[in-house]
Amino acid sequence: MRSVLKTLTAAHSVAIALPVAIIVFVLAVWLPNLRLLFSVWTDVSVSLADKISLSLSLIPAIATNFTLLSASYTILIAVLTGINAALIVHLIRTRAVLGGGAAVGLSGMATGALGVGCAACGSLIVTSLIGTIGGVSLLTLLPLRGGEFGLLGVALLGYSTYLLAKKSTKPLVCEPELKP
Amino acid sequence: MEPEAKQSISSLSTPIAIVIAGALIAGAVYMGTSSGSTANAPQPQDAAQQTGDLEQMRVISADDHIRGNQDAPVKIVEYSDTECPFCKRFHETMKQVMDEYGKDGKVAWVYRNFPLDQLHQKARNEATAIECAGELGGNDKFWAYADRLYEVTPSNDGLDPMELHNIAQYIGLDMTKFNTCLTSEKFTKHIEDDVQNAVATGGNGTPWSIVVTKSGKKYPLSGAQPYEAVKQLIEVALKDK
Repeated sequence: MRSVLKTLTAAHSVAIALPVAIIVFVLAVWLPNLRLLFSVWTDVSVSLADKISLSLSLIPAIATNFTLLSASYTILIAVLTGINAALIVHLIRTRAVLGGGAAVGLSGMATGALGVGCAACGSLIVTSLIGTIGGVSLLTLLPLRGGEFGLLGVALLGYSTYLLAKKSTKPLVCEPELKP
Repeated sequence: MEPEAKQSISSLSTPIAIVIAGALIAGAVYMGTSSGSTANAPQPQDAAQQTGDLEQMRVISADDHIRGNQDAPVKIVEYSDTECPFCKRFHETMKQVMDEYGKDGKVAWVYRNFPLDQLHQKARNEATAIECAGELGGNDKFWAYADRLYEVTPSNDGLDPMELHNIAQYIGLDMTKFNTCLTSEKFTKHIEDDVQNAVATGGNGTPWSIVVTKSGKKYPLSGAQPYEAVKQLIEVALKDK
């Protein structure tokens, strides 16, 4: 545990974890309005200052366009993704291997992304993905109205962090191949 | 446990996790779309085509409920569900917008109905109540009713249906006429047209808004965005001549 913390608080790990977490968080908050951002950023009549101001002004939507639950797992997914990224880079640098932890992390990110959005009123990614076959119908069957995807994402990312941390603290020794 | 067995379990953990996640998603999708589902009534998302084309927005006309200057250079068309907590929040944001930009006639607010029946079963009836208020008392009563409804509803189908009558009384509508209107199907088509138009323009949740500039350019705005974001978008839209 101590060695994992030491790894994560090292400058090179922070330099990876922090930007990754920020990017994931900002993308998650922007997600419902990617179409707006695209139209503004591709509009030559809009000044660069206005493009930047508008993009930044959407970030506080974490407080207005998310439930407490969805805001919580969105932040957790961002933080865990940052930690995962730092551990993956550390493993590649020190051992040149990844193992299953990275794959679990990726599935966690993908599942978590499905839960991002306004869980109460249908604006989840999942409803967009399956919009033509009844996305809202799906939500009504879920007690947390889609928050389940976010929580599952957090669980998978948490498990991935555990696997990566375990692998990174494993002593560097030569192991004989066990045969029956 | 034997070391080899441990190793074997460890190597299986990744595919198992992915399979579980996939199975959960697939199961939810299957249940959500199966004929045995309890929630299989036609919905906006069930519409044959969800084009997401902002140009399909119905032209703003005298039939619309418009707050502020009808000739404002910027118009915000909001598709809203009275039982959505985010719409309740965004209603306050829009009132703030009108306080700042409505007085000078720079911004007009156009309200359209977008009840998400499967999430909020009371929303469509409440949409009818708002429309009835508009018919019986004109534009002012429409907005007075909407303001009061969004103020008193706890959201997520929490509003006591009796409140619809109390609000009508509170804003001074003729109660007999209001009750008759509410039980009629006078606005069924109008509300459905609003819903279909929201879907056609790309709305898949509420609140769904379209900011229209003087030249006719349209910007989509999804969700209860903070006041500062709406203000920034209005400033961008006001610069478009």
